[in-house]
Amino acid sequence: MAGLLIKGGRVIDPASKTDAVMDLWIDDGRIAERRPSGQGRAASPAGARVLDATGLWVCPGLVDMHVHLREPGQEHKETIETGTRAAAAGGFTSIACMPNTDPWNDGLSVTEYIVSEARRKGVVNVYPIGCVSKNGKGQELAEIGDMVRSGAVAVSDDGRPIGNSYLLRMALEYTKIFGVPVIDHCEDKSLSAAGVMNEGYISTMLGLKGIPAASEEVAVATDLAVAAMTQGRLHLAHLSTRGSLDKVRRAKADGIRVTCEATPHHLVLTDQAVADTDYDPNTKMNPPLRREQDRQALVEGLADGTIDAIASDHAPHHADEKLVEFDDAPFGVIGLETTVPLVLDRLVRGGALTPTRFVEVLSVNPAAILGIRKGTLKVGSDADVTLIDPDLERRVDVAQFQSKSRNSPFHGLTLRGWPVATLVGGRVVHELQPATIR
Amino acid sequence: MIEGTRVRMSARKSAVASARPKQRPAPSRKPQEAAPALVEAAGEARVETRTLTALKHKHLLGMQGLTAEEIDLILDTARSFAEISTRTVKKVPTLRGKTIVNFFMEPSTRTRSSFEIAEKRLSADTLNFAPSQSSVVKGESLLDTARNLEAMAPDMIVIRHKSSGAPHFLARHCRSNIINAGDGWHEHPTQALLDAFTIRARKGRLKGLRVAIVGDLMHSRVLRSNIFLLKTMGADVVVCAPPTLTPVEMQSLGVGVTFRIEEALQGADVIMMLRIQRERQQGGAFPSTREYYNLFGLTVERARLAKPDVIIMHPGPMNRGVEIDSAVADGPYSVILEQVTNGVAVRMAVLYLLAGGTLGGIAD
Repeated sequence: MAGLLIKGGRVIDPASKTDAVMDLWIDDGRIAERRPSGQGRAASPAGARVLDATGLWVCPGLVDMHVHLREPGQEHKETIETGTRAAAAGGFTSIACMPNTDPWNDGLSVTEYIVSEARRKGVVNVYPIGCVSKNGKGQELAEIGDMVRSGAVAVSDDGRPIGNSYLLRMALEYTKIFGVPVIDHCEDKSLSAAGVMNEGYISTMLGLKGIPAASEEVAVATDLAVAAMTQGRLHLAHLSTRGSLDKVRRAKADGIRVTCEATPHHLVLTDQAVADTDYDPNTKMNPPLRREQDRQALVEGLADGTIDAIASDHAPHHADEKLVEFDDAPFGVIGLETTVPLVLDRLVRGGALTPTRFVEVLSVNPAAILGIRKGTLKVGSDADVTLIDPDLERRVDVAQFQSKSRNSPFHGLTLRGWPVATLVGGRVVHELQPATIR
Repeated sequence: MIEGTRVRMSARKSAVASARPKQRPAPSRKPQEAAPALVEAAGEARVETRTLTALKHKHLLGMQGLTAEEIDLILDTARSFAEISTRTVKKVPTLRGKTIVNFFMEPSTRTRSSFEIAEKRLSADTLNFAPSQSSVVKGESLLDTARNLEAMAPDMIVIRHKSSGAPHFLARHCRSNIINAGDGWHEHPTQALLDAFTIRARKGRLKGLRVAIVGDLMHSRVLRSNIFLLKTMGADVVVCAPPTLTPVEMQSLGVGVTFRIEEALQGADVIMMLRIQRERQQGGAFPSTREYYNLFGLTVERARLAKPDVIIMHPGPMNRGVEIDSAVADGPYSVILEQVTNGVAVRMAVLYLLAGGTLGGIAD
C-alpha cells in the first residue's frame, strides 16, 4: 500500500503526552514517522497521498466499548456491516459489541461468527464481548476461556444485571486467568420493576412508572463489595446517578479495581426531555435519563477521572418497534454517529473537558480497559486515526445515518465539532467530504 | 423545579407545536390575573366581560398548559349546554355532519357513555371502537389502528388508553382532533373539568377553596388533571394516601401532602375520594382493604372534620367499604351523581369548542 501523509494537523496523543501540530506518515498500516510540522523528511514515499489536516485534530482512533451490533439474530435492527459503517462515520475505529444477540454470544461459535463476519464485512475493528453466564441467564459461568481464545475481550450479561452476587464473585475470580474485565449493568430489578423513566418530579407529572436512582446504586454498592473481596477487574456500564459516582469515587480511592463509563445521552439530556418531546419513545432508555443534578455529577466525574470512558450504548431498534406507546417501546437509542459531536459541542466547547481528556475517555481509556493495543499514535502503532474538525457545524439528520436504525433523540440538533475522516490500519474507511484527501 | 438540559428538538417539536404551548407552565404557577371575574356566581355577567370566546387548541390532551381563562371558557360554555339536557328534545344540530370516534382501549362505562351522549346531543355521528371487537386483539399496533380509523375521515377521536402519553402519540400522527379520555396514570382532563363544573355550581367559585383529595394518588389520572386545574384556578389542594401510593415529589406540584386523613379533611370545602384498585394490594401497597379502610376510608365521623357545607365527590367506580362508607357516598353531602350529570354538559362544551365553536355562538 502506498503511504499517506497527514499534514499539519493538531496531533493529540495523550499516551505519548503529545499535543502539537505535526506531520504524520503512515506506511504499511502503521504510524511510520511523525515530526513537528514543516520538518518533514526530505521526500514523501513515492506515490504517497497527502491529507491536509490544517485546522483539524488528529486523534488516535476512537474506541466505543459498548455497542449493540444485533447480529446474529436481529438483523432488522443492525448488522455487523451497517453497525461498523456507522462507527466509521462517527469517528470510531474500534468497537466492542455486547453479547445480547440471538442466540446470545455465550460460547465459541457465536464469538467466532462475529469475528469472521467482522473480518469479511466490517469496516472497523470489532471486539466481541462474551456472556458471563450461559445464555445470559445468570446461573452458571459461560465458557469464557473459549470465547477469549476466539477473540472476546470482556464478559458481560449486558442488559441483564449479574444480580447473583455469588455468580459475580465467580466471574471476577475466574476472569483473572485471562485478564479480561467483567462488565455489569447495575440495576436492582425489584426496585425498577416495570419502570419506564427516571422516578422523580417529571415521572410524577407525566404519570409514568419510575425507575429510582437507588435501583442502580444498590447494585453498584453490591458489585463494589464483591470486587473488593475478589480484587477482580470490574467495569460498570453506563452509570447515571450522582450516588453511583460517589460510590465509585470512594472505591477507587480505596484501591478497588473498578472502572466505569457514561453515555453521551446521560451527559447531555435529563428526564425533562421526556416531557419536552411529549413522550417520544426515543427518550426511553435504561438506565433512564436522570435529573439535572445527576447529569452535572456525570460531567464532574468525567473531568475528575471517576468516569474512565464515554461509551455510546448504541442500541438500534427498528422504527416500527419504537413507533408505539411509550410504555411499550423498547429501551435504547443509537449513538455511534452522534457521540463525538455531542461530546465536542456540549462538553469540550464549554470547557468541561479538555481536548486531551476527550481523547483519553474516547480512545486511550476504553482501549486500556479492554486490553487492546489501540489508543495511541506512537510510531509503530496501528494507523487507526480519527480526524476531527472542531469548528464544523452540522445538523444531526437521522436520514443520513449509516446505521440501519433511526432511534435517536438528537435528530435536528445542530452541533459543532464533527469527525471528518476515519482511518483503520491506514485505510480511509470514512470521509465526510471526499475532497479532503488528495 | 427541575432544570433539564433542554436540547432543541425542532423537527419533533414542530409536529406538536400547534397543539400545545411551547413551554409547559409549571403547575404551581399563579393563575393568570387576567382571568375575568372568576369568583362571580352569576354566569351572564361573566360572558360579557370575558376576552376569550374560542379555544385555540386543536386537541385536549390534558389540563396542564391550559390557562385559567381557557378553563373558564370551557366551564361557561358547559353551563350553556347543561340547559339542553333539561329539555324534552335534548338535541341541538351544532355538530351535525361531524364524525366522532370513541376509541376506548380500556374498559369504561361512565366516560364512554357520557361522551357518546354528549356527541349525540350535539347531533354528531359517533362510532364506538373497543379492543374486544377490533383488530387490536389481532395484534395491530395503535398507530395502524388509528391510521385506519383516520382513513375513514373522522373529525375527532376520543381516546382512552392504558399508557400515559398515548393521546400525545396519536396527536403527533393523526389529523383529527384528539381528546384524552384518560391515559394511563397521567391525565383525565374532562373528569377534572366536570369536577370543577360541579364545584363551581355548588360553591360559586374555585379560587381559595380547600380541596382534599384522598386515595390512590400513584395510579390516578383523575388526581393529576384535578391538581393542574385546581392549582391554575387558585384552589388550595391537599392530597392524602399511604406513602406507598404517593408518587415522589408530589409537593413540587404545589399541593400539600399528608399521610393522615384527618389532617387532610380538616376544614375542607371539597372532598374528592379516589378509587382504590384492589389489585394494588397484591402489589404490596397496603396489607389489606380492611386496614386501608381503617386508616384512609371516608367515614361519617371523619367527614365531620370538613366544613359544614362540604361536598363529597368521587369519580367512580366506587369501592364501597374500601375508600368510602356508603353512608357518606349516599349521604346529603354527596354530589357523586351530579358529577355524572355534569359530565355530559362539560363534554359537549369540549367537543363544541374544539370543533371551532365560540361561546355565544351556540345554536339551538
